[in-house]
Amino acid sequence: MTTLLRKAPAVLGGRGRAAGYLFMAPSLLILGVFVLFPIGRSLWYSLHNWTVGAAEQPWTGLDNYTKLFGDAQFRRALANTLIITVASTAVLVVIGLGLALALQSENVVSRVIRSAFFFPTVISLTTVGMVWRFLLDPDIGLVGGVTRALGLDPVNWLQSTALALPTVIFVNVWKNAGFVMIVLVAGLKAIPGEYYEAASLDGAGRLQTLRSITLPALRPTMLFVTFMVTVQSLQLFDLVYVMTGGGPLDHTETLVTKLYRDGFVNYETGYAAATSWVLFIVVVLVSALQLRIFRYNDAD
Amino acid sequence: MRNKRALAALASVALTGLLVSGCGNSDDSSGSGPVSLTVWTGFTGGDAPGYDEIVSDFNAAHPDIKVTMTKMSWDTIQQKLPSAWVTGQGPDIAAPSSDPNAIAQYVKTNSVLEITNTGTGDDKVNTDQLAAELVKEFTYNGKLYAVPANYATLSLYYNKKLVSKPPTTVAELQDQAAKLTTGGNYGLVLADNNTIQMWPILQWLSGGDIVDANNCSVVSTPAGIASLQPWVDLVKNKKISPVGLSGAEADSLFSAGKAAMEINGPWAAPSYQKAGVDFGLAAVPAGADGKPVTLGSTAPLAISAKTKHPQQAQEFLAYWTSKTAQLKFSKTTGFPPLRTDLGDDADLKADPTVSIFASQVSNARLYLPQVPNATKVDTDAYVPLIQTATRDGDVAGAAATAAKKINELTGCTQ
Repeated sequence: MTTLLRKAPAVLGGRGRAAGYLFMAPSLLILGVFVLFPIGRSLWYSLHNWTVGAAEQPWTGLDNYTKLFGDAQFRRALANTLIITVASTAVLVVIGLGLALALQSENVVSRVIRSAFFFPTVISLTTVGMVWRFLLDPDIGLVGGVTRALGLDPVNWLQSTALALPTVIFVNVWKNAGFVMIVLVAGLKAIPGEYYEAASLDGAGRLQTLRSITLPALRPTMLFVTFMVTVQSLQLFDLVYVMTGGGPLDHTETLVTKLYRDGFVNYETGYAAATSWVLFIVVVLVSALQLRIFRYNDAD
Repeated sequence: MRNKRALAALASVALTGLLVSGCGNSDDSSGSGPVSLTVWTGFTGGDAPGYDEIVSDFNAAHPDIKVTMTKMSWDTIQQKLPSAWVTGQGPDIAAPSSDPNAIAQYVKTNSVLEITNTGTGDDKVNTDQLAAELVKEFTYNGKLYAVPANYATLSLYYNKKLVSKPPTTVAELQDQAAKLTTGGNYGLVLADNNTIQMWPILQWLSGGDIVDANNCSVVSTPAGIASLQPWVDLVKNKKISPVGLSGAEADSLFSAGKAAMEINGPWAAPSYQKAGVDFGLAAVPAGADGKPVTLGSTAPLAISAKTKHPQQAQEFLAYWTSKTAQLKFSKTTGFPPLRTDLGDDADLKADPTVSIFASQVSNARLYLPQVPNATKVDTDAYVPLIQTATRDGDVAGAAATAAKKINELTGCTQ
């Protein structure tokens, strides 16, 4: 195998190599135009007081970044984003693992319940947000109706400064629990049955089997699933935009809703670009932390 | 084999080229036939037929120009238009926002064309026949950059099943709002996000304001706090309105018959009729000083600085604001006419809806007119002030924070 791989470049010499690059050209062009160039450009914007269409775009160096950390709205958005990410990921892993363990068997009931839990995953976040916003409306929503029928005052879930953020986290978890469960079920099925047989012969109990066999064997799957959920939560926009618009009083504002507002409502492109670079750094740091927690290097 | 590979690679590169070139802007100006003008507006409400009529009548009367109006949400326009106009794309004409102050941003980025086709006659914009405050609102450095697409005043809508006699004074309004909040109904629905135009009216009625003539905040002055306090108390303690409503949600509550009163513009009437609400219309009650006051609302209509047809575009704006078009528009939509020479029109005076809105034109004030960073004063200071005060009841504290922010945004140095 190694020999073959080593020989491969020699096969693509001369015109063959040129053809290879030509085949890559469309993808590289698209990648360059739509990914690499905008990324570089946004860094350039973030170093200017950049306003769409302005005659002059004055260079400000790192001013946008220093201004960000003095901006109370940014600090709140950063805190909210981290709270959403940590809470969503922790709850999702626990619920997803619980569901996966409970529903891993291949009978009809498990399959039906798995499908039901997976269903929200295929709906767009915008639709999920709108449905939940309607359900939670204290005047016309189902939840408010049930509360009233029980003789209690309906709760204004999305307009309470104390409840809005937990409610957004709840809906985010509801939407993604099925995805986490399905990935973990796949991970569970990949664990060789012999491990469990050996454990059973050694007299291991259920809890011990879970701790010593299932969880270590699931580590790569867990890493994948937490990585996906974390990045999705760090970039949360549609759900918040539709459900609360970042309100009430910025209590559900995330980094992405803030950069959207700065960039597309207030047209402060440079400032919004700086926010996006801070988000990028947060994503890199959190991802690095995850790799360390899951000891990725010695996982495989 | 190699030739085949090279050919396939070339074909894929050519395909990519086609794909990328497909993203460009096509220009339909070449060739003969009528000049095509595109217009973007956010007029998607019950008043939409009125604007459609203006366009179709203009097209019928001008065979050499073909106007196509595309309607989308205001949010969508605000996202797409700034970059579209800066780069020479997008429509020839647009109503950039329902907020008249939004035009300032487009002037700053040189995206809008100065309107020079003014004067008398049907083919010119008759600025002397438009309400003076509207012309002033769209004039920057002595140059006119937009015309009003409409001019509405806000009136008091009341549900006839719940309100026997509409209030005529601010004290009666407060009293009825509290009394009618019963049995799951709200007395007076008030939005605190996405269009909160009723709040400045309530402040004005109670003797307060947002900024003074020097654009300095007055929300935290004793008069400013006193003007907000009774309304905040009514929301917080008497629950006359739910907190956290957007303008559209407040409308939905009135449509559903769950709100006794709402302060709103003429655009809401068709949807309330459709919803089957038995509603009446009254002028906004007189203020604490006995004087009537309400809010005037207008959406700007502007031309792209990079349009290929500046003359025809200005001709369209002239038609839009003409006496003929505006008379028909008022009759269709119930909006007061934006022209002063239609103020005494007998037909409009006889129309029960138009007459209520038109009767308040002389008492109407615009929201933060020509205040620097007006849009941000609204979103970053005034809206948070109302939201904070109605939730925790601390008007003085919220007003102090808002005042600081307002002065920072307007550049006021006291």
